[in-house]
Amino acid sequence: MAKENKKKHRRSVSYAKWAYIFITPFFISYILFTLIPQFLTIYNSFFENYRNGLEQIGPNFVGLGNYIQLLTPDKNGTIDFLRYLGNSLSMWIVGAIPQFLVALLLAVLFTSSRLNLKGQGLAKTIIYMPNLIMASAFSMLVFSLFSNVGPINKLLVSSGILEKSFEFFAYKIPVRTIIAFMNFIMWFGNTTIVLMAGIMGIDQSLFESANLDGANSIHVFFDITLPLLMPILSYALITSMIGGIQMFDIPQVISNGKGTPNMTSTTVIMMLNNYLGISKNYGMSGALSVMLFVITGILGMFVYRSLAKQYKD
Amino acid sequence: MKKLLSILLALLMVLSLAACGQKEEPAPVEEGEGKVFHIYAWNEEFKGFFEKYYTVPEGIEVVWTIVPNEGTQYQDALDLALMNQDSASADDKVDMFLAEADYILKYTNSPYTQDVKALGVTDFSNTYPYTVEAASDASGVVKGVSFQCCPAGMIYRRSIALDVLGTDDPAEVQAAVADWDKYREVAAKAAEKGYIMTASYAEDYRVFSNNTSSPWVDANNNLQIDGAIQAWMDQAEDFVAKGYTLTSGVWDAETTEQAAKDGKAFCFFGPAWYYNFCMGPAFGADAEAAGTDSIGDWGLVDGPQAFFWGGTWLLAATGSDNPTMVADVMNAFINDEELCTNLIKNEAQFTNNQAVNNKFAADPEFGNRYLGGQNDTAVFAAGAKNIKFQNQTIYDQGCNEGLQNAFVEYLKGTVTKEEAMNNFYKALKEKYPAINVPEA
Repeated sequence: MAKENKKKHRRSVSYAKWAYIFITPFFISYILFTLIPQFLTIYNSFFENYRNGLEQIGPNFVGLGNYIQLLTPDKNGTIDFLRYLGNSLSMWIVGAIPQFLVALLLAVLFTSSRLNLKGQGLAKTIIYMPNLIMASAFSMLVFSLFSNVGPINKLLVSSGILEKSFEFFAYKIPVRTIIAFMNFIMWFGNTTIVLMAGIMGIDQSLFESANLDGANSIHVFFDITLPLLMPILSYALITSMIGGIQMFDIPQVISNGKGTPNMTSTTVIMMLNNYLGISKNYGMSGALSVMLFVITGILGMFVYRSLAKQYKD
Repeated sequence: MKKLLSILLALLMVLSLAACGQKEEPAPVEEGEGKVFHIYAWNEEFKGFFEKYYTVPEGIEVVWTIVPNEGTQYQDALDLALMNQDSASADDKVDMFLAEADYILKYTNSPYTQDVKALGVTDFSNTYPYTVEAASDASGVVKGVSFQCCPAGMIYRRSIALDVLGTDDPAEVQAAVADWDKYREVAAKAAEKGYIMTASYAEDYRVFSNNTSSPWVDANNNLQIDGAIQAWMDQAEDFVAKGYTLTSGVWDAETTEQAAKDGKAFCFFGPAWYYNFCMGPAFGADAEAAGTDSIGDWGLVDGPQAFFWGGTWLLAATGSDNPTMVADVMNAFINDEELCTNLIKNEAQFTNNQAVNNKFAADPEFGNRYLGGQNDTAVFAAGAKNIKFQNQTIYDQGCNEGLQNAFVEYLKGTVTKEEAMNNFYKALKEKYPAINVPEA
């Protein structure tokens, strides 16, 4: 029996090697441009390494010094790194809630065979549009819309709603809302497309049999669509969260790199940008990146676990 | 495949030989110098003058790399280019770059700039001494020249002065604002009449920061807040509280709008380039066409304290492949009388050539139409002699911008004074790890 098997195996042509050959370019570029830099980042995070003017300081080995500096509370007991991370996350959450609700609704509507909406192609293109604009250009646009001498303020003043122009960018809640809203506008189209793909992957016969059994659309949504969509939904949620933690261009442009007011729109990547700016502080920025990597990993695991658990139940 | 490889190898060899050849040969004058002259700058100002008044030697192409100044972006780009200077191809090498007073020290005290006297810029007899001091390294080697001299003054609105002080005569206005106490009195009077003194909380910042008695960072790298900076903070706080000024930044649209026809600001502070280059709503061609300009409604006086602001130095980059042209450009902008005359006459600049400036200062016919025919060159020529280049550090841009950014939040009422200062210290520490800041 064993002999026969061996014989058979030898006779057949193995295509396996082609698969490996086809995927090698990815692995090579992954190792060169992602894996090695990742290890270098970890390595750099243990060194004091920056520029003072045009003079290079270090690299000097400092062990966990950079991490300790990053996590040392200031005299009021705040750890800036965590504070900025909190800023990133809260701006992400405020944008992500409407983003996922709207995307889910649209995805269900677009895929519903009962409704069979007309003009879907156009609608999908339009909702995806904002994602095609560069974030910084979009930020500039929104900034000038809401600036003290911008059209929104002029409109509010001339229509008599406000007495004098309101400085949107001087207060925490308007700034964060504007940033979250921009994230929502830019990303809900993308999420809709991903979720639609997920829904279309669900066996149509399930929907049909549910309809035959007299289930209404709400039942169908909660008992069929949502559970079967969970893997895709958790994927979309985790990638969106990673995007949220890495939020940079919108708050950077909106606040002109200052993270105002009172650092409440400073994201953790803006902090990284400050370290990397004039002094090219590879030590501190390395430590920050490693911390972020670990935190993203933990949060991702947490989101995945909680969603996957629900799905199993 | 083999053929291709051999061609590639041959090409590589030829290229590397060519590269060697260029380095080993001592640069003969003009012959054999690069065909591309590469200049780094942060705005179009110098580019405009250069293209208009400097005749580029035949066969040379001038390439500009322009990166905005704010938030040290320009320095980042420039540093990167200078550090790669050795490995850059001849055409990509930086030949000359522009630097501002705020960070010129960083470059003059580095090996990335070279002695311009060795290149052939030797006649500094007409320049203002502070411009040469600023372009010299710690041991006195001159690394570049300034094409402008930037004594600054108080630019006041004649119509508002007439209403508030009963006169728009420069001598009488100067007497009314001769020191800060008098200046504050004028501010109070202007406010009574419904005007504002300045259109930005930071409008007079440079007047104070230019008259400090100690640098931002001491010899032990400790940050220190000078008395003059403290005085500015106190005055800004007072002015905002009393409504004498606005909380918008110097470059914000709300501030520059106040220079237009129906603006309410009593004065602005700045050198020649300020009203020539930065007061668009007041003097710009668009504004003039629309009839919203305020040309002629301005006067210039020394103001409460003498100060200078900015200035653009041309520095010679080490490793330049066009040393002759570098020297020629520098000589032209400090010693070419015709060029300097054009800068004053057509561009309302105050040049770095004393002889030409003084000629215009003494000319009763000469006047600036923005200033209602007042001879601004005469005001500046008197002020320029008193300028000292002192208490500068390589961190000045970060400190000046950082303090203003953090402090305005306090002025707007978003944060407490202590929080504002803490934000300033933290931002500074993130940007400059070498500075010791008070515990924030």
